[in-house]
Amino acid sequence: MMNKKYLNLLFTLLITIAVQAQKPTLFMGATAHLGNGTKIENAAISMLNGKIDMVADATRIRIDPSAFDTIYRVHGKHLYPAFIVPNTTLGITEIDAVRASNDYIETGSINPNVRTLIAYNTDSKIAKTVRSNGVLIAQVTPRGGTISGQSSVMHLAGWNWEDAALRIDDGIHLNWPSSYYESGWWAEPGSTKENKKYNESITTLKRFFKKANSYAKSSSLMDLRMESMKGLFNGNKTLYIHANNASDMLDAISFTNEFSISKTVIVGAEDALKIVDELKENNISLILNRVHRLPSKVGSPVDEPFTQAAKLQEAGILFCLSYEGEMEAMGARNLPFSAGTAVAHGLEYEKAISSITLNTAQILGIDEYCGSIEKGKDATFFISSGDALDMRTNNVEKAYIQGVDVDLNNHQKELFDKYKNR
Amino acid sequence: MRLRFALLFSILSFYTVSGQETFTVNGVVQNFEPIYVFTNAHIILSPTSEIENGTLIIKGDKIIAVDTSLNIPSGAIIYDLKGDYIYPSFIDLYSDYGLQKAKKGQYSYRPQYESSRTGAYHWNEAIHPEIDASREFVTDKKSATAYLKNGFGVVLSHVQDGILRGTGSLVLLSEKSEHENIILPKAANYFSFKKGVSQQKNPSSLMGSIALIRQTFLDAEWYYAQDNQTNLSYAAVNETQELPNIFAVNDELDYSRVYKIANEFEIDFIIKGNGKEYSRIDEVAATKFPIIIPLNFPNSYDVDNPETAEWISLHKLKDWETAPFNASILAQNEVDFCITSSGLDKESDFITNLRLAVKKGLSKKDALAALTTTPAQLIAMDHKIGILESGYLANFFIASKDIFENGKIYENWTVGEKHIITKKQEIDIRGYYTLNNKEFENKLVAIKGSMEKPKATIFALDSLALKTTLEGGNINISTKNGTFRFFAKFHNGNIKGKYQDSIGIYHTFQLQRDSLFKETKKPFTLTIDSLIPSVWLPNKAHGFTSPPNAENIIFRNATIWTNEQEGILENTDLAISNGMIIALGKDLDELIVFPETIKITQINATGKHLTCGIIDEHSHIAISRGVNEGSQAVSAEVRIGDVINPNDHNIYRQLSGGTVASQLLHGSANPIGGQSAMIKLRWGSTAEEMKIKNADGFIKFALGENVKQSNWGNFESIRFPQTRMGVEQVFYDAFYRAKTYQKQWQDFNALSQKEKGKAIPPREDLELNALVEILNSERFITCHSYIQSEINMLMHVGDSMGITINTFTHILEGYKVAEKMKKHGAGGSTFSDWWAYKFEVNDAIPYNATLLNNAGVITAINSDDAEMGRRLNQEAAKAVKYGGTSEEDAWKMVTLNPAKLLHIDDKMGSIKIGKDADIVLWTDNPLSIYAKVIQTYVDGKLLFDVEVDKKLRERDRLERMRIIQKMSENATGGKKQKPEPTSEKLYHCDTEYDE
Repeated sequence: MMNKKYLNLLFTLLITIAVQAQKPTLFMGATAHLGNGTKIENAAISMLNGKIDMVADATRIRIDPSAFDTIYRVHGKHLYPAFIVPNTTLGITEIDAVRASNDYIETGSINPNVRTLIAYNTDSKIAKTVRSNGVLIAQVTPRGGTISGQSSVMHLAGWNWEDAALRIDDGIHLNWPSSYYESGWWAEPGSTKENKKYNESITTLKRFFKKANSYAKSSSLMDLRMESMKGLFNGNKTLYIHANNASDMLDAISFTNEFSISKTVIVGAEDALKIVDELKENNISLILNRVHRLPSKVGSPVDEPFTQAAKLQEAGILFCLSYEGEMEAMGARNLPFSAGTAVAHGLEYEKAISSITLNTAQILGIDEYCGSIEKGKDATFFISSGDALDMRTNNVEKAYIQGVDVDLNNHQKELFDKYKNR
Repeated sequence: MRLRFALLFSILSFYTVSGQETFTVNGVVQNFEPIYVFTNAHIILSPTSEIENGTLIIKGDKIIAVDTSLNIPSGAIIYDLKGDYIYPSFIDLYSDYGLQKAKKGQYSYRPQYESSRTGAYHWNEAIHPEIDASREFVTDKKSATAYLKNGFGVVLSHVQDGILRGTGSLVLLSEKSEHENIILPKAANYFSFKKGVSQQKNPSSLMGSIALIRQTFLDAEWYYAQDNQTNLSYAAVNETQELPNIFAVNDELDYSRVYKIANEFEIDFIIKGNGKEYSRIDEVAATKFPIIIPLNFPNSYDVDNPETAEWISLHKLKDWETAPFNASILAQNEVDFCITSSGLDKESDFITNLRLAVKKGLSKKDALAALTTTPAQLIAMDHKIGILESGYLANFFIASKDIFENGKIYENWTVGEKHIITKKQEIDIRGYYTLNNKEFENKLVAIKGSMEKPKATIFALDSLALKTTLEGGNINISTKNGTFRFFAKFHNGNIKGKYQDSIGIYHTFQLQRDSLFKETKKPFTLTIDSLIPSVWLPNKAHGFTSPPNAENIIFRNATIWTNEQEGILENTDLAISNGMIIALGKDLDELIVFPETIKITQINATGKHLTCGIIDEHSHIAISRGVNEGSQAVSAEVRIGDVINPNDHNIYRQLSGGTVASQLLHGSANPIGGQSAMIKLRWGSTAEEMKIKNADGFIKFALGENVKQSNWGNFESIRFPQTRMGVEQVFYDAFYRAKTYQKQWQDFNALSQKEKGKAIPPREDLELNALVEILNSERFITCHSYIQSEINMLMHVGDSMGITINTFTHILEGYKVAEKMKKHGAGGSTFSDWWAYKFEVNDAIPYNATLLNNAGVITAINSDDAEMGRRLNQEAAKAVKYGGTSEEDAWKMVTLNPAKLLHIDDKMGSIKIGKDADIVLWTDNPLSIYAKVIQTYVDGKLLFDVEVDKKLRERDRLERMRIIQKMSENATGGKKQKPEPTSEKLYHCDTEYDE
């Protein structure tokens, strides 16, 4: 009866039924992965004014077609909340080897005041290829130095950085001094050396944080660095500490406790499984290294990086996946597949979705309006004809950012189209 | 006339003692050389004979006689050794005694491509065979002492720098003048793979060093025949070719590298090793090279912190445990070896480590031979040094006991010159005494401690801590605060002397010994630890305990991706045997498949996928010390095949991802790079075994930003080419040079035998040899390429030279010239989706593979990356996503197509009867992100198995713990090593230098 009405419609065709404005748009029949660890096999999801208006099981409710502006019939397809890539230079770099196109490392080592926000290129050619794979939100993050600067969470669409911004200056990125460092340069890799200045660096950092804390309580003159640090002490900003080895992470945790910083996230966290108790005790969440990486040591189990997520899930740690590393901006489009690899190695599928959606949103402090398919949240989601975590089937047909249809074309598709019909 | 003079000279030498005649003497000549006689000695004449109660007689620099009962010449100076040991002194063939270290040239930001040396020498600063150590040698008393302390009498010294280093001199460690100390000015040639202090760019890699050595030998041969130029370096190579050749290697993998050079040029080498020969003992022993080994056993690590201790690789832990067995393992394998004292942190480690080697099973006889007769024989000086026999040089040392147990060296004599190492204490003053004088009456004094270092306690002084020194019979005793200071002499059990008290007054005192001190120390016993730890293949985590065998297996009921016309077969069986695929079909009858009774394994593969192994067309794993020889625009002479590293862990990791074979390519730092190696990932094998036999030769070419050094900073703007314009010219220049060269040889070879004898043959050039092979279609090009203009250009170059560019690798803009490639006959091997890392990849698209494939170009997807190389199945699947390639075609892009591009598809790349059993069993469709490898077979050998892998993890963990506990219990060596994380060398096309 209900279904008959649509039988004559082509499966892939987008169907618009012109009715009165101010009515929601409905997506019928998809397998909806909500981002919160659950899914609805045959979902009815609607959006209105850029927000999600309804999330329901289509088999359990009665749909009145006249109540909707447009109805998309997406049976057999998958609907996901926007995938979020945290900790990335996407949008502030275009070509690694062209220095002029790189805007992610400021000179100097303590730069909490610099902001990626204003360098974000809404017309990044790379970003367009990334969103075509379902990654619609990025935490655009500075690099380099001890304190790199402030990240902002951006939509991968928008006319300018103002309307692309989802959360401005969400946090400050601190590269925890590593007790070991790699010598050499990219063409001439050297060996690993002990950082003899480790303690000295920590002392310098503490002195800086003490000063910043004092400034936050009694500021008079404007000091840009100090001013930017204020948010850490009043809970408005997150401290993202980039650290990988267990002992460094433990030092970082006691550091953040010493300064009573309420929101701390560890980024990298290679050795996280060794300090599960401490992470839990201190309520630290993690942004993990790229899943597709080599094991940390020569003798480490070959699948060590692949199984880390499943083990952390089991341990009850809040984490999300990132794609930091070589070619991270262009590679951000592979974030979904890295979640797929985590599934292959034991992470439950819907949890893997969480690790690139709701978990990420919670960690970045944007879960109030995105990260999951939930009534009242932003209508930022996409539809893939198949399983989006597997490259065989990832095929994004429709994507929305706050209810606005996203152009899924990109430089590469254009070249493909140009040359395929030559 | 000349003969008579020589005869006269040799007769004279019997009677002359001093060679001072050529010098004027300021004052009165002192020329008397007494005869020294050492009696009552335990004399070790040679490793195989020794005498008790022997007598040694020397005069001047020679031994006159040595035996048990000898007449003592009148007037001789006699030493009664009372049972002390005499050994022939040791010989070290790897020393730089008496020579200055080579000085590093000035560093410049600009690369130095040419030699900074002036004169008629070799073009490369690291090649200096003309350096003659005897010209630089200066007697150095201080450094000599360090050797003398360890029992050495003669060393072979050379300047330890460069690749062809020059000649070393055999020198005595005496204090005499250089004229007398140099006993053989040119005793050996020295070689290494390290360029040393040279700042010249070439060679920047191990393979570059190897090519340079080979070319130098060829050039020296050519130089011998030609007559139109002078080159002192080549002349030196030719003049010294009869000398022993000592090659200092970096590691145990270098043995087979030197072996290949030795075979090619028919040179016998002596190898100066690294002390880890045990880890590749079969390979090392097979070379039959005599070896000089250091005793540089690793110090213990600080393992107190379990977390940092995890950074110590299992390889290092095992090395710590096994390295002291190295000498004993060499002896067991009948390798000729000697021992050098070089390479130690401190010289005093030498005797300690020598004894440790003995405790680990090295026989004393072998140990002594390694320090005396073997080195003497290797440099053909065994008629003069190495044993104690009349007529030999008077080089020996006297020790308290067995030097390999706990003997202490008292004296070391070099050519009759005495050096006191430890003063022999013959008087034992220890005992319990009564002190008497005006101040004290019948007070007890105890002198304990050792004979050499007695320690006095005067109970009357409230047992104050005392400092006791003994020099001959002179004794000093003082309280630490200086209030009492005794000096006295020992005579017949009595000590008589004076002391000064705190207010400066002298008192006489006497000590009467009441009883002797009884030694409580246990006598030394030598316990041999003959349990050699197991050495794995390779000797690290995941290494094999024993090499795997090719299995006989029937996989039942699998989904088989054949890559052949049959396509993907469901519910099908596959049988492998002897490393080959022998049957494919439904419900195979095992009695028909395996008619003979052999052990067969049946594997239920229901629900699983079975494929041939993945082949990576573009890989840089498993390479030692450098992937680029970018110091020249053309380096066709270098060969990756020379530098395969079978110990690279990425081999195992990639097996775990289903990869079974790789083309190991030279990098892309220059337009014409080096020759590739085709390997199977035969984990546990040797470098040579990993190579695919009879595979066609390939060579790396490159285009674009890397070859024009665009991203190397502003200083690297000297080497031609710096533009794409220049790149084209490099190719034309190279090929035209090759054509001329080929013609020269053709003309020469066309000459009659007689004419050849008169003509000078053309100079053989390894670089041009490789280029001629390309022109003759005997070697094939894999070209790193990005944008269409340059791809097009190279095809034009190829067409004009009558050659086909076999493969464009990377080929990111291949889709723009796919038709041209198809027409030219080139294949493409690309990245699935890389872009945005260089300006030239702006138009790189992930649809490239699909477009190339659709155009009929043989298309592969490769890694160029150690991480990606272990999940190429995922990369292949991207061709399905981007552009809609069929799954079967996508799978071929990482299997059959690379096999075709590499000309190995007759053996590999599909599931077909008769092909190699390189098989992967997957949990799922191999293109799925959810697919995991269950098993990987190479040549029918199970090299990765997910269940075995679990067991290996357990084994490795327990092995770690066992060694760590052992290390905690009995630390060896001096200062403990701090655990540090080790960074793995991961090469990409761009990685420039490494040494």
